[in-house]
Amino acid sequence: MSRVRPVFIWLARFAVAAVFLGACIAKIRDPELFALAVNRYRILPGEFVNLVAIVLPWIELTAGLAVLAGPARLRAAGATLIVGMLTVFTLAISLNLVRGIEASCGCFSTRADAAVSDGWNLVRNGALIWLGLAVLRDAFRRACARAAGNSE
Amino acid sequence: MPESAANSRGECLWLAGKCAALLVLATALGFAANALRPVATRLPWIGDWEHHVENLAFRQGVPVAFLATVRERVNDPAAAIFDARTPEQYAAGHLPGARNVPVAEADRRLGDFAAWLKPTTSILTYCGGADCDDALELAVKLRGYGFDNVTLYPGGYAEWTEYEGAVHAGDAP
Repeated sequence: MSRVRPVFIWLARFAVAAVFLGACIAKIRDPELFALAVNRYRILPGEFVNLVAIVLPWIELTAGLAVLAGPARLRAAGATLIVGMLTVFTLAISLNLVRGIEASCGCFSTRADAAVSDGWNLVRNGALIWLGLAVLRDAFRRACARAAGNSE
Repeated sequence: MPESAANSRGECLWLAGKCAALLVLATALGFAANALRPVATRLPWIGDWEHHVENLAFRQGVPVAFLATVRERVNDPAAAIFDARTPEQYAAGHLPGARNVPVAEADRRLGDFAAWLKPTTSILTYCGGADCDDALELAVKLRGYGFDNVTLYPGGYAEWTEYEGAVHAGDAP
């Protein structure tokens, strides 16, 4: 078990980081289309749509890089942000499914022909939250162990 | 204060500090990247989304459809597609099967379709693109006439052709 755990954490780090680094590319390339995707959730007041479209992809980028290549403390922070973002995305998609609002999730593609959100998005986000929490727990323990080692 | 409580507060503080640092860095990068974009692709910090046609439709209770749904509707012989643009624009090119119903002539044109148009018929309206509201106006009018199943395609003709949708030219659907 002790040999399997580090491999699992490495795979989890790679998977979560790859998803977020991959997701931010289209949004950074075309913020106008991403703003439209954000608007289609019909959750944010219009004044905040552009600000979210400008900043959110860069949070995804920095959090993804921190999880992939950061030291333990930064990795824990990156994983915290990723779990937080995934929770918000999941709540937003759930809300739209309940309200019957047809919209693409805007997760990986901002194109007009992107697939409309469905239950599959929630399952995928649930799995990513689980992986993100595993990365967070591991990074947090390592950071605390390092701090304890330094203080002795 | 017990030592363990102080330690756990310290652990929370460093995590919160690192999260804040990442958020500040991401915000700075986002603002810088947007400021450095060419003017044509730069996003205003605050956009006028309140008057965006999709938000207006949402507030008026008109459902919107996106490209995947519109592609299905075009292949559905039971669905009606109404092009709210001018006759000249319609003749230059329209979605396959679409009938021309300019808003100003809606009453007369809809009378022509009375034989086959039922209150439950699935109707899709569109106009030039996201910056026109004729299709929304037509959709609201149709709902006022008792048609319950009216959907707006906000991307309109511009998006349809951008994604290489088939186009018919001339006065016939």
